[in-house]
Amino acid sequence: MLFNKRTERIFIWVFFPLALLLPLFLEQNTFYVSKLTSIMIFALFVMSLDYLVGRCGLITLGHAMFYGLGGYLFWMLAPEYTEVNFWVYTFYVCMIAAAIALVIGFLVLRTSGIYMIMITLAFAQMAFYFFSDSIEFGGNDGLFIYMKPETSIFGLSLFDLDNPIHFYYLCLLSLFNTLVFFKLLIRSRFGRVVDAIHQNPGRTTALGYNIFMFRLMSYVIASALGAYAGYLFTLQYGFVNPSMLAWTTSGSALVMSILGGMGSIYGAILGTFVYEGLHYGLEHMTEHWMLFMGILIIAMVMVFKNGIAGYLEKLLEKRS
Amino acid sequence: MTTELMLETEGLCKYWGGLKALDDISLQFHDKQLHGIVGPNGAGKSTLLNLLCGHYKPTSGRILHKGEPIEAIKPHAFARRGIGRSFQKTNIYPGATCLENCCVAVQRRMGGNFNFLRSRYTQKVLDEIATEALEKVGLGARRDEIASHISYGEQRQLEIAMVLATAPQVLLLDEPMAGMGHEESLLIIELLKKLKREYCIVLVEHDMDAVFELSDQLTVMVDGQHLITGTVDEVRDDPRVKEAYLGQGDEVF
Amino acid sequence: MTTSLFFVQLINGLQYGLLLFLIASGLTLVFGVMGILNLAHGSMFMVGAYLAWYFFEHTGSFGISALISAAIALLIGIAIERGLIRHLYRRNHLDQVLLTIGMIFVFNALQSLLWGNDPLGVPVPQALSGAVPLNDVLEYPVYRIFVALLCIAIAFVMYYMINKTRLGMLIRAGESNREMVECLGIDIRRLYTIVFAIGVMLAAVAGVASAPMSSIMPGMGEHVLITCFVVVVIGGMGSIKGAFVAALLVGLVDTFSSVLVPQISSMMIYILMAFILLIKPQGLFSS
Repeated sequence: MLFNKRTERIFIWVFFPLALLLPLFLEQNTFYVSKLTSIMIFALFVMSLDYLVGRCGLITLGHAMFYGLGGYLFWMLAPEYTEVNFWVYTFYVCMIAAAIALVIGFLVLRTSGIYMIMITLAFAQMAFYFFSDSIEFGGNDGLFIYMKPETSIFGLSLFDLDNPIHFYYLCLLSLFNTLVFFKLLIRSRFGRVVDAIHQNPGRTTALGYNIFMFRLMSYVIASALGAYAGYLFTLQYGFVNPSMLAWTTSGSALVMSILGGMGSIYGAILGTFVYEGLHYGLEHMTEHWMLFMGILIIAMVMVFKNGIAGYLEKLLEKRS
Repeated sequence: MTTELMLETEGLCKYWGGLKALDDISLQFHDKQLHGIVGPNGAGKSTLLNLLCGHYKPTSGRILHKGEPIEAIKPHAFARRGIGRSFQKTNIYPGATCLENCCVAVQRRMGGNFNFLRSRYTQKVLDEIATEALEKVGLGARRDEIASHISYGEQRQLEIAMVLATAPQVLLLDEPMAGMGHEESLLIIELLKKLKREYCIVLVEHDMDAVFELSDQLTVMVDGQHLITGTVDEVRDDPRVKEAYLGQGDEVF
Repeated sequence: MTTSLFFVQLINGLQYGLLLFLIASGLTLVFGVMGILNLAHGSMFMVGAYLAWYFFEHTGSFGISALISAAIALLIGIAIERGLIRHLYRRNHLDQVLLTIGMIFVFNALQSLLWGNDPLGVPVPQALSGAVPLNDVLEYPVYRIFVALLCIAIAFVMYYMINKTRLGMLIRAGESNREMVECLGIDIRRLYTIVFAIGVMLAAVAGVASAPMSSIMPGMGEHVLITCFVVVVIGGMGSIKGAFVAALLVGLVDTFSSVLVPQISSMMIYILMAFILLIKPQGLFSS
């Protein structure tokens, strides 16, 4: 069974049908549809971080670098006005991001613990300043992309990306696929080794595994998917800017992942929606929503030791 | 009878800055024999094992596996060559079942480790080999228990099962009976008697009865130096050994 | 670059570096002794600056305001350690990251609530205003020299305290072996409270000192935090000596690069850090 926890299955059966049907009720109000789309895109990003930190034990504060790269790479590759194919460019963006991750991972994964956190941060900051200080890349204001790709496969066009409802469904599909992908990855033989490395790296090396290679592979996969999320974000509004690469973006994603329950993957979706939901709700109630958010986060750390998913699982999972 | 020379050290030294942990150790380990290593605390026994499995790199000297020098290769490459190690401090995967613990050990040989999509449960033969290893050490019944839930003695058995699951040629066992009660120790002793007929075993232990019963060859180390190597009787009769132990206040003989 | 320009940038770089040391020393002290990575350290810098402004507005004296601010920062440090940080000692790094990020949110919100989002300023105190002539053309502000000397003085005090006093001995012992210190019958909890409070106070004092030099505004905490991390990592986490060397290095690199290679000057300290970590992964002076 792919989703072997009851809590996980409940979440999927509640979340995805709801998400599937929601636009039908929100037809008139594309604002909410777009808002939900944005949250889904970031949830995809958070899932990739959750895998990296929660399942592989590779704590990085530089993941947002790939989020931003997803957008900037698309701007660099795509022609200004000619329509291109969405799927083809997804492939290009992810492949190039993976190549960059291969190089950076090779340098970064030789460190561990607090030093890995810092060196990943260093690279992300370098990328951030590179884009925000350069005029060719629009500087602090960022860049606009005036073209929306078309999504035909073998001549059959499925989504019209100019239509917010279509874009919503594309992102929902991506979210679901990514979740399934990560679950397959975790369950696979590769995943077995990754779990072993996370639980006990010394033992795993003693068994003959080259743990560096496995970590590198995980880093590349997670980074490529993070870039995919950034690419979707850029396509939504046709806009890319350096704040996508900011360390605060990485920080937010980390917060959402921990909130949801680190390592559970589906928890990342939960955490992102809860955080964004609270943000949205509190922001409308008070100008000083950050105060409540901060207090809430502190309370979460003190009380919910394993995030929301952890708490739910404690309630819902059968005792073995 | 002298079987094949599996592992050999030549002038092996390990210094930690000014501290001499091992000094000029030259030993030979043969196949299908159990070679015991004993000595008072601080003799350098664990350091030797750490060097033999690649965890530490020697300051000088050579380690030869079937004639090939291996002192410079990476730690995981030692295991790939068939040099398996069990740890003094139990080093298993506490959150996984005993079966899963052994499956990780087996999987490396089976390949397909970078296969992202193939489920880890589909290869039946992997499970079979893992179960076989568990049964060999007597843990067959605890197959589906979470490793952190089984008793300490059983965890030590699991340690050995994991090493066996890698189909090693050389077994480096670091105090496998540490902290075990008398009966549990007897089980391990019987197990090792069986295993030494198949593998080259290097055994570091404090349990003297066990070491005397099992060792085909026995090495005594003191303060990082190699004192003597010989059969159990040769070593027992040597006056220097008695002095080394009695000098430490250990009533051994 | 002319020699006088070089000289000015040198002093600028050193002065900036010394200020960075003041902030970074608190961070590295807390991490070295307690193993806590306090992401809200930058917020304390901000709190120091805002408190300095507030009490200056109410007392008219920068000196009095500075003393009160430092005292309040000490109390805040004690309160935070007793109330929150204490619970993190047995938890992992991620929980620390999350909790201290939560604290950043709270501090930022309080700052906005109490003092608003407009930039504020504190004038340079009368006694320290004016400039010292360097040569016939250039002069250097007295206040900046004062701050630099203050940082050096605090560095000496720290050196003396850590190497010559009993508290310092406990700090050094606690860094290498927590359990041992506990076994010696010393109340490690009190030690931790003191260390954390000192760490926080150092950041706040730096904030107070820098208040007359730059505008006080939202986000100043986060900006300084990142630079602080770079310093601590380059120096070696937990090493105050390392923080000193690294702070001066970062201060000089940052100052000179903004004059020599302005296009990439923002990146320079990160390039420096990445370079050093790739050669010495534990930092320059790791224990």
